[in-house]
Amino acid sequence: MLELDTVTAGYDRRAPVFRGASLTVSPGESVGLLGPSGCGKSTLARVAALLHRPDSGRLVLDGTEVRAWRHRAPREQRTAVGVVFQQPRTAADPRLTLADLIAEPLRATGRRAEAAGRLAALAPAVGLTPDLLARRPHEVSDGQLQRACLARALVLRPRWLICDEMTAMLDASTTAALVAAVETYRAETGAGLLAVGHDRVLLRRWCDRTVDWKECLPVGRTP
Amino acid sequence: MADPRTHRPRLWSSAATVGVLLLAVLLVPPLVQLDEQAVDLSRKLLPPSWEHPFGTDDLGRDLLLRCVYGLRISLLVGLVAALVATVVGTAVGAAAGALGGWTDRTLMRLVDAFSSVPHLLLGIFVVALFRPGVWPVIASVAVTHWLSTARIVRSEVLSLRTRPFVDAAVSGGATRWRVAVRHLLPAVLPQAGLAAVLMVPHAMWHESALSFLGLGLPSHQASLGNLVQNARSSLLTGHWWPTLFPGLLLILPTLAIAGLAGVWRDRLNPRRRSELTL
Amino acid sequence: MNAANGKVLRALEAVTAERAEDALLSVRGLTVRFRLRGGRGVAAVTDADFDLAAGECLALVGESGCGKSVLASALLGLLPGNAETSGTALLAGASTDAATRGAGAGPDATDLLAADEKTLARTVRGRRVGLVPQSPAAHLTPVRTVRAQLEETVRALTAVPRRARREAAEAAAGRAAFPAGHLDRYPHELSGGLAQRAATALALIGDARLLLADEPTTGLDRDLVDRTVGELRRHVDEGRGLLLITHDLAAAERVADRVAVMYAGRIVELAPAHRFFGPIGPRHPYARGLLDALPERRFTPIPGMPPELSDLPEGCAFAPRCPRATALCATRPEPRAGVACHHPEDARA
Repeated sequence: MLELDTVTAGYDRRAPVFRGASLTVSPGESVGLLGPSGCGKSTLARVAALLHRPDSGRLVLDGTEVRAWRHRAPREQRTAVGVVFQQPRTAADPRLTLADLIAEPLRATGRRAEAAGRLAALAPAVGLTPDLLARRPHEVSDGQLQRACLARALVLRPRWLICDEMTAMLDASTTAALVAAVETYRAETGAGLLAVGHDRVLLRRWCDRTVDWKECLPVGRTP
Repeated sequence: MADPRTHRPRLWSSAATVGVLLLAVLLVPPLVQLDEQAVDLSRKLLPPSWEHPFGTDDLGRDLLLRCVYGLRISLLVGLVAALVATVVGTAVGAAAGALGGWTDRTLMRLVDAFSSVPHLLLGIFVVALFRPGVWPVIASVAVTHWLSTARIVRSEVLSLRTRPFVDAAVSGGATRWRVAVRHLLPAVLPQAGLAAVLMVPHAMWHESALSFLGLGLPSHQASLGNLVQNARSSLLTGHWWPTLFPGLLLILPTLAIAGLAGVWRDRLNPRRRSELTL
Repeated sequence: MNAANGKVLRALEAVTAERAEDALLSVRGLTVRFRLRGGRGVAAVTDADFDLAAGECLALVGESGCGKSVLASALLGLLPGNAETSGTALLAGASTDAATRGAGAGPDATDLLAADEKTLARTVRGRRVGLVPQSPAAHLTPVRTVRAQLEETVRALTAVPRRARREAAEAAAGRAAFPAGHLDRYPHELSGGLAQRAATALALIGDARLLLADEPTTGLDRDLVDRTVGELRRHVDEGRGLLLITHDLAAAERVADRVAVMYAGRIVELAPAHRFFGPIGPRHPYARGLLDALPERRFTPIPGMPPELSDLPEGCAFAPRCPRATALCATRPEPRAGVACHHPEDARA
């Protein structure tokens, strides 16, 4: 289970982006979180990925309450959640080749030896060819870079996947290809998914269920 | 503006100037084996001629030779001081930016404290602690020059730290140290390198200022600052060349290095890259 | 002849005629090449042909990296120095009456590809071609109010006397549906939708008859996309021509009269929007695949990835991904009836 329980979060304690948001994703389930831009759904996604410490509220991941965030969180907990962001350009270190970008989490966790094998398995799964893997981010298109970012999120085999507007910048065919890659991974591993976005048609088609941002907030409260 | 071709003339003239000056200071002293200190009072204050292209000074020493030696000392001081200042500044700035919190506050107060004392005064204080020589001057220039680099690097690191690629690294299990060393530091090195190159002429001017005030290198040693200092009395008697040539040699590398740094800065400019992205 | 009839007729003509008589913009053989280090070349746009009439919206759609943004930059003369362009892009003259004189025949028509930077800066950008930018927030100056920026643009682009500038700025804001009450705000105080309208208002000040919108809906949420697109449509209905560059097929469906599909730098299909999105559907297999990838349709990606623009095949660039490809596809298909394909698909059953 991934449980977000009455979470209040933001970038200024006096004026949080939202108060008391709750959302639960069951193991293996895919949930689409719908909301207009600027409502705070991306901040909630960052909380769920242990990347943003909430002002109050609880995050329970597979039965364990999360008590530390970012670098301070235990590595096992952090790497149990894979994240894909909206803009591949800013989410990729411009100095790394796509192959290094995908393998970076393995290197960071001392599992360098697995890099070649995982790369060989993941690259075709996300539709990347060997010549693309040798390139740097500025030499590939947004769609190709986002494919690499998805592979990076999957390389440590996370039990949870969080996709924050993963396809907002992409064309229809690349969108369908990335969603298919995510679903293939989930079918193999049984991982749960939280997909955040504003495209109702897309999330309805993609996910088991969709939740409106308003439904996450306590009744009578506006963000 | 973004066209690399428009850089060509600037790049070549600057590179050629720097190249000729470097060759001169590296090759002339070991090859010609003349004593730049050789006094010949029968030939004092001769105007520029074929024999002495830069003329001679009030002790009859060849000014071209002394200028080359002076430039050598000044460049050495400038390069070493800029290198030391950049390493210190980058380390402090990166630590403050990447670690944040308590470390950041302490380091930045230190930077403020150093900045609150006028540059030259602090420099004079440092040289005054030691006997005159090359190393005290380098230390003095380095101590006063790492501050701006520390600020530049810190602000760069701060802006990079909130980028999603850092989030992605954290989510991928990277430690704080790994994020700093593998993702943040490489991103600021080009900026720090640019700051270092721009600092070289600045450090040379600083050395000259200290020497001109009589606080830098021993006055018999030919540095550009000392040459200008020694030439003061001659200038009053209408002998312009002992002042002009060392002065030009101070300005020329400054312009050339600024030209090179300008080209470098435009290369760093991300706009050029994005325009090529289709 | 009433206005609606006229529009339909014009749209039909534009599809069939060799060079539409009343085209606002007439592009023929537009080709852009980039020279890269090491002698490599990138064929960003190849032989693009299209016309755009007043009161018409042409949507240029395709995947990111297919060359559509380069095409827009070429029309505005905003390509980097290592780009080489050829072909013509005739923009109808400012004083030309579209009903009587065509762009091709107009004596004061401007070839955007041949014009020098001075001409483009002084007489074209803003005055005859308005640009609706991709990220309005980045397009506005953060330290000045919307009113100040509008008035400055009025001063730069029009001969409106000083006293009337305030009024002209407010009128421009009104045309873009920017609320007058927000004129004294700074860009960071505006929501995404209002920033988009402010940028559109700036684009409308010069009263350009041709609008060029480069991915105006990227990153906006669906409601805002609908509103932005609706407003763009309104400007088209007022008689402007709109070249909409987008990867968002849903947005294109809402606003376009005609759709041009770009693949690997070439326009592979040019079709009326109602046919393209309607039951008949596109005829080029790539266009059909792109449409079928939509979540409201089959949600199936086109297999493979687009080819490198620096390494295009001799024949049809889509053949390696195409289910209908045969040996014939090793030769390049010439566009016929708006479709560049050896084996175009029939109308859908």
